[in-house]
Order: sequence, then C-alpha cells, then structure tokens
Amino acid sequence: MSQKQVGGPPGDNSTVDWCLYQLNGAAEFEVSEADIISTVEFNHTGELLATGDKGGRVVIFQREPESKNEPYNQGEYNVYSTFQSHEPEFDYLKSLEIEEKINKIKWLPQQNAAHSLLSTNDKTIKLWKITERDKRPEGYNLKDEEGKLKDLSTVTSLQVPVLKPMDLMVEVTPRRIFANGHTYHVNSISVNSDCETYMSADDLRINLWHLAITDRSFNIVDIKPANMEDLTEVITASEFHPHHCNLFVYSSSKGSLRLCDMRASALCDKHSKLYEEPEDPSNRSFFSEIISSVSDVKFSHSGRYMLTRDYLTVKVWDLNMETKPVETYQVHDYLRSKLCSLYENDCIFDKFECAWNGSDSVIMTGAYNNFFRMFDRNTKRDVTLEASRESSKPRAILKPRRVCVGGKRRKDDISVDSLDFTKKILHTAWHPTENIIAIAATNNLYIFQDKVNSEMH
Amino acid sequence: MLGRGLKRKLSDYEENMAGLSSRQLVLNMCLTKLQTYKMLVEPNLHRSVLIANTVQQESNCCDLRSAEDQIENSLLIVSDDDMSSAISSILKDLDFVEDISPPTCLGAECVFGSFEISNSTSYLKDLAIDDIFEDIDTSMYDSDFCCPPLMPPRPPPLATEEPLKTFPSCNSSSANNIQICRTDLSELDHIMEILVGS
Repeated sequence: MSQKQVGGPPGDNSTVDWCLYQLNGAAEFEVSEADIISTVEFNHTGELLATGDKGGRVVIFQREPESKNEPYNQGEYNVYSTFQSHEPEFDYLKSLEIEEKINKIKWLPQQNAAHSLLSTNDKTIKLWKITERDKRPEGYNLKDEEGKLKDLSTVTSLQVPVLKPMDLMVEVTPRRIFANGHTYHVNSISVNSDCETYMSADDLRINLWHLAITDRSFNIVDIKPANMEDLTEVITASEFHPHHCNLFVYSSSKGSLRLCDMRASALCDKHSKLYEEPEDPSNRSFFSEIISSVSDVKFSHSGRYMLTRDYLTVKVWDLNMETKPVETYQVHDYLRSKLCSLYENDCIFDKFECAWNGSDSVIMTGAYNNFFRMFDRNTKRDVTLEASRESSKPRAILKPRRVCVGGKRRKDDISVDSLDFTKKILHTAWHPTENIIAIAATNNLYIFQDKVNSEMH
Repeated sequence: MLGRGLKRKLSDYEENMAGLSSRQLVLNMCLTKLQTYKMLVEPNLHRSVLIANTVQQESNCCDLRSAEDQIENSLLIVSDDDMSSAISSILKDLDFVEDISPPTCLGAECVFGSFEISNSTSYLKDLAIDDIFEDIDTSMYDSDFCCPPLMPPRPPPLATEEPLKTFPSCNSSSANNIQICRTDLSELDHIMEILVGS
C-alpha cells in the first residue's frame, strides 16, 4: 500500500464510491440473539477490527498484509481470533442476571508485539492480551518431542534448544478484570492518551482506573443526587480527549456535553465547559426531551471538535464554542412526525453511534432499514447507503438510497411508512486512515471500501 | 367570573379537547411504560428518567397556560403536587439497588464496608406482587391499548357531582360539553389514582 490517501481526496468525499468488500455473518433466518453484534472497533492502525456480540463473544479480524504472491487477497479482513469475553452472571445479592452482552471494546495503543483491548459488559471491564505464537522450541535436553522425560542414560551431550516455525497460533488471555466498580450499567470506556489509565462510565458515575490496578478506581464524576427522586439526568457516553490526557467529555440524557479537566479537582462534578444548545421553540413536542438525549459522543482526530448523535441529528461542536454546535445534520427528519409511534414501540430509545473519518472531513451514522448516512463537512453533501445482502453485490458500487416523504416519488425511493424499524444500524466504525468502514447490521458485519482504494491493491 | 355570559368558539374548544386526548394518550403510554419498567427486576434508569421528565414537563406546561384557559386547566390538570409525588415515588423505586461506592482500599473487608443500603419507602416495597395490581383500574385501557387487562374492570368510583362544582358558570348552551368534560375528568382521575396509588 504505497499510496494511501487519508480519507480520500480532500474536500471531495461525497464522490467516494463505496462498494461491499466482504460480508460476515449468517443469513437472516439463521440469526440467534446471541449473534447480534453490539460493538465494532478498529485498532489504531486499522490492521485489526474487533466486534463484540450479545452472547459475550469477541471476534477479531485481521487485515491481510500486502503480498505480491496473492494480490487479490489484499485488504481482506480475515478472522484472527474468537474468544468468549464475558459470561452471563447472576448477582445473588440483588437477585438479577447480569447480561454478557459486550457494550464496548476499546483497543490499547500497541506497545510491543502483543495487542491489547478492553471489553466491557454492564458491570465488568476486562483487559485482554492477544499474542501470536509461530515458533516453538525443539531439542530439549531432558524431554523428548512429545514432552516425556528422556531416559537419562541416553543423554550424552548438551544441546541448545532451537526455535522452529510452527502454524500460527493466536492466544488470548485475560490479563486484568476490573470488577465491582459500577452499580449502574456501564455505557462507555475510553483509554487515556497517557496509555496508563482509562475511564469507565455508567448512568450516574465515571471511574478512572489504572490499567495495572484492578482492586481500586477513582470516582471522578458522580451525578447521583442525594435523593433519587430528584434525578432528572443520566450520563449517556464519555470519552477522553485524544491528545490532552487531563481532558474528557461526557454527554447527558438532556442533550448537554460537559468537558472536564482532571487537573482542576479530584472530583470533576463541576465541568470546565458546558455545551448546550437552547431548544428551538418551534420544534417543541411531548418528545423534545427524549429525542435530545445524546446517544454517542466522539472527539475528532484533531481534538478540536466533538461529534454528538441524538435521535434525529448529528452535531459537530467546536470545543471553543459552548453555546451551540457549529454544524447540525439531519439524519432522518422525516421521523419527526412519527415520534408518537416510535415512542410506543420504544424505537425512540435506540442509541445510534457516530464516527469521524480519518481526516475529520466526513461523519457517518446509522439509521433504520439498514440505512447509514454520511455527511461531507466541506461540500455539505450527504448520502444514504444501505447495508443489505440484496443491494450489495461484491465489488459493485453502492447505490445511494432515498426516502421519500410524499410528493414526487422516484423509482427505487422508499416511503417512510415502508421503513423497517427492526433493521437498525446502531454500530459503525471508520478505519483510522483509509476509506474502509465496518457496519454492523444485526448479526452481519459489512465491510465497505472505497472502490479506488480497493483497486489500488 | 370567567365564563359567565361568555361564549367560546366551538373550534377553540375542539382544538383544546383534541390536545387533551393526544396528551392523554401520551400520558397513558408513559404510565404503562413506567409500570412495565417497575415490574422488571432491574429497571432501565435512562429510559425511566426520560419518561418521568416528559410527564413532569407536560404537567408544568399546563401550569403556564393563560387565565383564559383556566376552565380547560381545571379539567385537564392533575395537580402539580400529585404529579410530582407520583414521579417521586417512581424514582425512589429506582434506588432500590444497594449502592456500591467504588472500592478505595485493599482487602475484601473494605469492599463490603462501603455498601450503602437504600432506605427508600416506596409504596410498592411492602406489597406482594399480586397486591400491586389490586388498585389499578384498567377499564380505561381497554379501548386505548391492545394490552390485556390486568384485572377485571371496575366501575369508576368517582362522584359525578364534583366536576360540576369546578365550573359552576358553564352556560346551558354547552351542556353537551359538560358531558364530555365529565368523562374526561373521570378518566384523568383514574390516571391520578393509579399514579398516587390510592
């Protein structure tokens, strides 16, 4: 891969032609609930892609390296390792079952030959170490090839065991288990840029952990009121700043963001900055509060902006401007008149994630009917694409989709009432440097690549 | 006195009544959801807070109406105190879990030392599961929802004299409206009875 363009030609990402690169997962009629993908995350180089599912499993894909021998395999993500991260637990004290569903996976920056990641369910965070073994020692003095002790009388000389190549074996071991830190459900984890600490957030509290210490954590945010009856706001997501190890942001169910500085005080209940947009009175409805709840927050790679997702929009916030977002993009405004039925079927509580591309010029988020949307911040153009078996032939360019809201209807348009609200794309991820995206649609993992990108291999 | 000799346009009234029924529909939905969540072993805190806020905001909204709408208000409003206490009791329930503050010292005894057990005295705590449903009158749900009734419907216990007392100056031309008001008021009272667990 000699020529990599970060995020494609600058300012022109809407002309990126996305095509399906590969699809992993069983056909829909074979889906079991445990297979539903609950999180997707590329590592810092994009070489590895991890997915977690409702059954507590983690699957890691590795990108095939360039090889002159097999030019057609380049760029393919193959299964590298699969392991059971979390098991269902029963809390005897409270008499309730703790789900094994993986809520979030975060990779640690690679510091040696091994890879490490953090995975979490509702209560417990685990640090996993992934190592490769492709050699094994042979020629032991006291043991033979099968490991049986040799008859000492046959040992006449001393030999130095040598490392011989073997079939690649990927070993995954749990190195740390960070338990008992949370009463409420963990919704986010984020590794600090110092590579020594990380934070975990639940509905009411955020804890800071040292990666090497499991028996204690520091509580850095606590919004639990003295009387629970006064509770009006919960924490929905949080993330460390990519460069400043003392800064982090957390979002709330009221649609606000709080940027906190850990140098200011030990308990960061007082935010350094509060980002909040006043409500538009013309859009007020019963559901204004519910749809303003932020479901995801992500710093840009540059660290200058934050991206938030609420039910109907994605917003870009400048860290220097607290009064309102600098950009707002409508994801599916046609749902505004359907909020009552979406409330009835609980879809209004769906938590969509959002993502930046490598150059922070394009943002992406999922929607219903297996649609996902991309917004180019420079050209202001946007596109709706679909992740489905029927509409994605390998290497064929994805056709933009359109939802029509009455009025003129073009061929291939889909009407709002025909949208399938059970097919939701909640989890998406963008490769850190290239135009490669991973989309989780129920139990299926779609990997789309820029056609130009894939043809270069 | 407001309303004495004052004829309101029927369209205004209809608009308000339409608003009432959609608000009622949403309040009914909120109520159903909160009750469903309460029945779960571990309620979803995020959703419960959002729904409770929505209900609270609706009751606050009604308080801000102008004096001209006072009559509608007295029909529509569940009193602010009642609504607050209903929401309070729901949120208190959410504090039933034993709260573990993060372990700050080594050793098993320190971890358990920081348990704090909630003292919430929610009205549900002392009731057996069956008792929960005894005072819920689901007759008003039968037409609005497809939910199966939890209990055989009981006739509403509300006295019918009361609604008339709240707007003694309604003139005879709106006798039909009084009939509608009475039904809506009794439905609202049902909601309130359920919310406050009377």
